Amino acid sequence: MNWKMRWLAGFLLLALLCTSFSACGNLRGSAESNAGSSSSEKSLVIGDTSFNTSNEEPDVNPHNAYSGWACIRYGIGETLVRYSDDMEVEPWLAVSWENADQTTWRITLRDNVTFSSGRKMDAEAVKECLEHLISVHDRAPSDLKIASMDAEGQILTIHTSEPNPSLMNYLGDPYACIIDVKAGFANGIVAGTGPFIVSSLKPDESLTLKKNKKYWDGEPKLDQITVRTITDGNTLASALRSGEVQAAYGIAYESYPLFQNDDFNLEQISTSRCFFAKMNFDPSSVCSDPAVRKAIALGINKEGFVKSLLDGNGTVADGVFPSGMAFGGDRVQARDYDLKEAARVLKDAGWVDTDGDGIREKNGQKLVIKWLTYPSRQELPILAESAQATLSEIGMDVEINSTADQNEVVKDPSKWDVYAMANVNCPTGDPQYWFTVFARTGAAKNQGQYSNPDLDALIDRMSVTFDTDERNALALKMQQEVLDDDAFVFCAFLKMSMISQAKVKNYTPHACDYYQVTKDLDITR
Amino acid sequence: MLACIRIFYIKMKYIGKRLLQLIPILIGITFLSFAMMRIAGSDAVEEMYNVRESAVSEQVIEAKRAELGLDRPFLVQYGSWLIGILHGDMGKSYISGRDVFMTFLSKLRATLLLSVLSLGLTVLISIPLGILAAVRQGRLTDKVLRGLSFLGNAMPGFFTAMVVMEIFGLKLNLLPVISTGVNLKSAILPALTLAISMSAKYLRQVRAAVLEELNKDYIKGLKSRGISDRIILWKNVMRSASLTIITLLALSIGSLLGGTAIIESIFMWDGVGKLAIDAINMRDYPIILAYVMWMAIIFVVVNLVTDIIYHFMDPRIRLGEGEDS
Repeated sequence: MNWKMRWLAGFLLLALLCTSFSACGNLRGSAESNAGSSSSEKSLVIGDTSFNTSNEEPDVNPHNAYSGWACIRYGIGETLVRYSDDMEVEPWLAVSWENADQTTWRITLRDNVTFSSGRKMDAEAVKECLEHLISVHDRAPSDLKIASMDAEGQILTIHTSEPNPSLMNYLGDPYACIIDVKAGFANGIVAGTGPFIVSSLKPDESLTLKKNKKYWDGEPKLDQITVRTITDGNTLASALRSGEVQAAYGIAYESYPLFQNDDFNLEQISTSRCFFAKMNFDPSSVCSDPAVRKAIALGINKEGFVKSLLDGNGTVADGVFPSGMAFGGDRVQARDYDLKEAARVLKDAGWVDTDGDGIREKNGQKLVIKWLTYPSRQELPILAESAQATLSEIGMDVEINSTADQNEVVKDPSKWDVYAMANVNCPTGDPQYWFTVFARTGAAKNQGQYSNPDLDALIDRMSVTFDTDERNALALKMQQEVLDDDAFVFCAFLKMSMISQAKVKNYTPHACDYYQVTKDLDITR
Repeated sequence: MLACIRIFYIKMKYIGKRLLQLIPILIGITFLSFAMMRIAGSDAVEEMYNVRESAVSEQVIEAKRAELGLDRPFLVQYGSWLIGILHGDMGKSYISGRDVFMTFLSKLRATLLLSVLSLGLTVLISIPLGILAAVRQGRLTDKVLRGLSFLGNAMPGFFTAMVVMEIFGLKLNLLPVISTGVNLKSAILPALTLAISMSAKYLRQVRAAVLEELNKDYIKGLKSRGISDRIILWKNVMRSASLTIITLLALSIGSLLGGTAIIESIFMWDGVGKLAIDAINMRDYPIILAYVMWMAIIFVVVNLVTDIIYHFMDPRIRLGEGEDS
């Protein structure tokens, strides 16, 4: 290669590099213009770790998949009722409701609502929607127990197959978003009544929304919203810092300090997502001994777990439900962290350390606790290690099994004594669900074989009690039963966080995690 | 002429034979994968209902299993999938309900672009630097390059990703942190991340291959005849060392085309690696089997192509001729 050729090659390489970098341009600039600073339209990009197929959110059809949260979360659809900050049911698309008898509900619908398809939302449209829901959905038929419906103008009458006091609570579940089923479900896109309308959907990539100019509750402040699926929490944090997204849902705890300054809003709220331990009552388990269960309940340092290990991103749990609710944990009596008392309880029950190895024994059996949990919730292995540390101080040897195969392991009662898990305990603001699923004799998730006839009777009573105050009182009694039996230890409720740039307004979390995009969401220029 | 036709026939027969070997490989590997997923416990329905950590009754779970055919015996499930494949139907994803073939195809474009780009960058970085380190053996340049190679090897991929993201995405603000679709601009950072990790490894191997050739007697002979170092390096050394380099690149192509799940997840690059990991987590058998088939095919084809390239690079290597002689 002679010198001319070398110079030519060098020049071409330089030109290529310059072109590449100029093509890349200044990204912050492009993100700014995306945020609306250089155009008359106001737009916002939200990064979200949860909007993806693996999380059971492949599209925005609320009747598809298990949860169907995207429709309500991104302001596309709305339900007949919504939950207040204390998870109490409030009117939304329905303005009022009443019971004609125990199996008949008369619901009056709002009169000024139209779907994004242009169709008026009347009782007939709602009936069609709910009929479609119960014909295709896994959970809805057993939750709603709808036998038939009558539609007349704005009055919808629902007949249930059995008394269902929780009906209105379940009608606030995301799956019950009211959509125009006649408009179809093409590519998982639906016509709802919310402040935003889907303009495009790329599964596992992005969702673009435009403002619903005919929204019944006033004009939305933003013209366009893009929801970007970003499954990695650290990448999401980087994207928020670079300005590629202006608001984020699902950033990992460890990145929070990056956003605790004037450039960002970091909003938190306590949810009913609870980290709790359930005991194994099978005779083969050491936890079948009430003294062992009581010692475990006394030996878990919930305060330390929340303050030190979760870095304040949670609240201490006493009962099944968060404090502040009408049947919240602040109204029941849970055991306080007390290692001395725990040691005394064990000693009185005959568990003593005879060989001096630091582990108690009884009748030749070592006090070994098989602690089952799973790693997909980062807090659970931390909780297991925290319990291991404190329980070892009272002579318990905690063997942790943190496995993704927990659903198989838990089926064999000889393989675990304590199963620590996470669950949204009050997804619809009604207390009955948790007891029916976790605590009732033979319930679906009662793998520990806990059985308390008094509790079962209370659950039966609640299932036919329509009076709210009476239901709340029953819920408190039921929680106390569970706590007195040390059948479960409720450790912490998760605080949910949403982070946005300081110029983003009204991007705030809600206790039920459903209402992320609202008509009030805004961005200043 | 006759001899040429005979050699061509033998080569074609050899290629056909290698491709036919794919059939038992595919059946074996998909059967094993299917069996291993079953042994691992849990299934798509259980994972699906556990995602939200809310509870459903056993009846609902059983009904969903029956709907997807997961309640049938293992061999019946596998047999039914195999029959589907023979009819050109790879089935539907248990989780998304979308057609497996189309889903897989939609992710392939991103994987191909990322593979080509990262491989190109790796070649551009590792081969010149490997040669440079070899010809300057023991000098400062060699020491610096070996040090950089050590550093690159020691850094895990996700860490390299974070570093390039911080520099090019956040500090210099030149490239996007998250992909904005399958385009060159979005592919640069993930490709650079992969290329840094691969180059660190290959730089040392290129250096070793070149050094090995440089120390051979025939090189001394060429030098004694007064042939210039440059001609020796490019016409003799590189020709011999290229076999090692081709082997390395072939292995890389295989693993790159299989997707790089961590890098894809970090940069939100929507390729087959991320698809496969999600499918494994959710026990989405049809997607997993499609991925396994893809991996088997690319490794068999890449190995075959490598063997053919070997033959052209070094005619002493015969393609299947020994088998027939």
